[in-house]
Amino acid sequence: MADLTIALAGNPNVGKSTLFNALTGKHQHVGNWPGKTVAKQEGKLIIEGKHLTIIDLPGTYSLSAHSPEEEIARNFIVCGRPDAVVNVLDAANLERNLYLSAQILETGAPMILVLNMTDVATARGLQIHPEVLSTRLGIPVITMAASRGQGLSELKRLLATLARTPREAMVGSSVCA
Amino acid sequence: MTSIGLTPSLRMTYASPIEAELTRLSEDLGHCPDLVARYPMRWLAIQLLEGDALLQAEVERLGGSVASEALAASRMRLETHYGEDLDVAMVDQRYRFVHDLAAQALTRPKTPSLTMSDRVDRIVTNRWLGIPIFLGLMWVVFKLTTDVAAPFVDWIDAVLTGPVSHWIISLLSITGLSGGWLESLLIDGVIAGVGGVLVFIPVLFSLYFALAILEDSGYMARSAFVMDRLMHRLGLHGKSFLPMIVGFGCSVPAIYATRTLENERDRILTGLLVPFMSCSARLPVYVLVAAIFFPTMAGLVIFGLYLTGILVAIGLGILLKHTLFGNELPTPFVIELPPYRLPTLRNIWQQMWERTAAFLQHAWTIILGTSMLIWLLLALPVSGEGGFAETDVDQSAFAAVSGVVTPVFAPLGFGSWETSGALLTGFVAKEVVVSTMIQVYNVPGEEEEEAVATTFGEDLLAIGGSFVSATSDALKAIPSIIGINLAAEEDEQAPDGLTGAIRQGFDASSGGHGALAALAFLVFVLLYTPCMVAVAAARQEFGSRWMWVSIIGQFVIAWLAALIVFQGGRFFL
Repeated sequence: MADLTIALAGNPNVGKSTLFNALTGKHQHVGNWPGKTVAKQEGKLIIEGKHLTIIDLPGTYSLSAHSPEEEIARNFIVCGRPDAVVNVLDAANLERNLYLSAQILETGAPMILVLNMTDVATARGLQIHPEVLSTRLGIPVITMAASRGQGLSELKRLLATLARTPREAMVGSSVCA
Repeated sequence: MTSIGLTPSLRMTYASPIEAELTRLSEDLGHCPDLVARYPMRWLAIQLLEGDALLQAEVERLGGSVASEALAASRMRLETHYGEDLDVAMVDQRYRFVHDLAAQALTRPKTPSLTMSDRVDRIVTNRWLGIPIFLGLMWVVFKLTTDVAAPFVDWIDAVLTGPVSHWIISLLSITGLSGGWLESLLIDGVIAGVGGVLVFIPVLFSLYFALAILEDSGYMARSAFVMDRLMHRLGLHGKSFLPMIVGFGCSVPAIYATRTLENERDRILTGLLVPFMSCSARLPVYVLVAAIFFPTMAGLVIFGLYLTGILVAIGLGILLKHTLFGNELPTPFVIELPPYRLPTLRNIWQQMWERTAAFLQHAWTIILGTSMLIWLLLALPVSGEGGFAETDVDQSAFAAVSGVVTPVFAPLGFGSWETSGALLTGFVAKEVVVSTMIQVYNVPGEEEEEAVATTFGEDLLAIGGSFVSATSDALKAIPSIIGINLAAEEDEQAPDGLTGAIRQGFDASSGGHGALAALAFLVFVLLYTPCMVAVAAARQEFGSRWMWVSIIGQFVIAWLAALIVFQGGRFFL
């Protein structure tokens, strides 16, 4: 079976790199400040015999190609044709984070939402209803506290069931520009 | 979830006039197979209506006039509804969609509580308190990388020059190879060279420790925010400040720290200025030379050198902002302040370890190679009667090679082969300047004839010992440099005869203006290339072209500044 490609996308400093490290066992530098991941990083994950290539995209607030980071993220989501885009969101700043999600939705890419930092959100008295997001958008939504390892096995289980999704709209060259 | 559907079932719908045009446009563009092969049509149509210049050019290239006319027609029809603000309307509708979605998925507390982060930020990013708090923290980092690290630096140095060297000598004597060129190579070349790298470990370790805490806690983002306005005047970015501060410790991690800047222009500009921050390895040179020529005001001279470095960086920053980098728009400063978090020990340790290991990997090959080369040049006789590894330094290939570049330094007052040689080796690392000067100025001792192995070892120990005391003295004096206590004592104990030899050397090369030449020499040491490792780091981060710009630029600036000091001083005195 061919490799599946999974892209991690999200706003800066929402814990993409922490999740990337947890999934791939790599030690990419993780820090509490936005903009650490300047270029995209690649790692491997094997679950239940399935070979997954995990791509950590630079954090962006939108997909309009205004900065190199946005361009990298956009090109990969649109032209790299990942088999799934795992959109990591800071649950404590849900509304602002969802803007990027809306833009990823528009690309038509297969998508999984990960609501990260739910511990911080709960501490702030925010109540999140992931099932509402899941039913409305029609995609899986996972709650997570990646720094504590919560929600990780759930995501892995989900990735294990992943099948290669044919995207007929886009065949041919995988490079747009 | 059996066969999970990842394809979203909800489609974000725009207002009906826009939707109508989106449908129309994606149909029109759909006639172009080149575009269909590359992009999702609806997405492409959305980007085009929003006015994405990159994709518009792409559509014109691939879709030709038909596609661009379709786009122009769609835009024209929408202009009646939205005027010039179609993109704003679309972003607004997207925000509304997101707002509704969030409202359904989220229940907010009735009274949003002021978080701990907010409360801390009220003080830390305060208009008046922000900068003092920042400077205070930087001072702590400074102390940590100097005072705290110093004893460990001394310790590693002592271990390498003492026991380790002795062991190698004894090991060689067992195998019957002692006293020869191999011993000289190992002790003088390998140990001296690799040791020069190893002694940096404590400094880097404590620096990375401080940086890890600043980063993980969330303060780093605040420091950039606080310093942004000041840094903008220098044509820099708020985030440039941290690499500059790191540069006082060591240029190498400072150059790597420029990665935190998003924009390439800011990264390169900061990387060009960082080497002018006087790194800790230059300090032993200042201490040695200042103690010989300005014994009563060594502290002031050293302080002045640090200040000169900062002023040169400021001046150059302003100059480059208006010239080389002038036509590029600086990125606006937008940074999200992450919540304060308690740094985890694991994360801190991981950062300290990985960054130090990365430094060592890059550093050791260059240092080892160069120190062996210098050893070889010092060992090779080009004149006189000495054999290989037994020649006097002034008859060595090193003296010959150094002699070639002396004319370059003649107008600066220090055009002797000794100083030229020291500066040449200084390209490798600034600590080498001191050890080279000690080696080349050292009058051949009388006892050297007897038991070569032990005397040589003792010599080395003495050099090592004096270097250790110089380093520790120098490092202790750092707080005074940033204005804490200027009354630091300089009790540099130069080896016997060395003071006189260096003084005579500078007097001879400058036509009697030894002190002035020494000052020019120090200014040159301050401003030219910090070390090979920094050069390697610059190449890795900014590419070969900028590496050469950096090397040549620094050399020219150092040469001109030293010229001004020497010739200008001679004119007035």
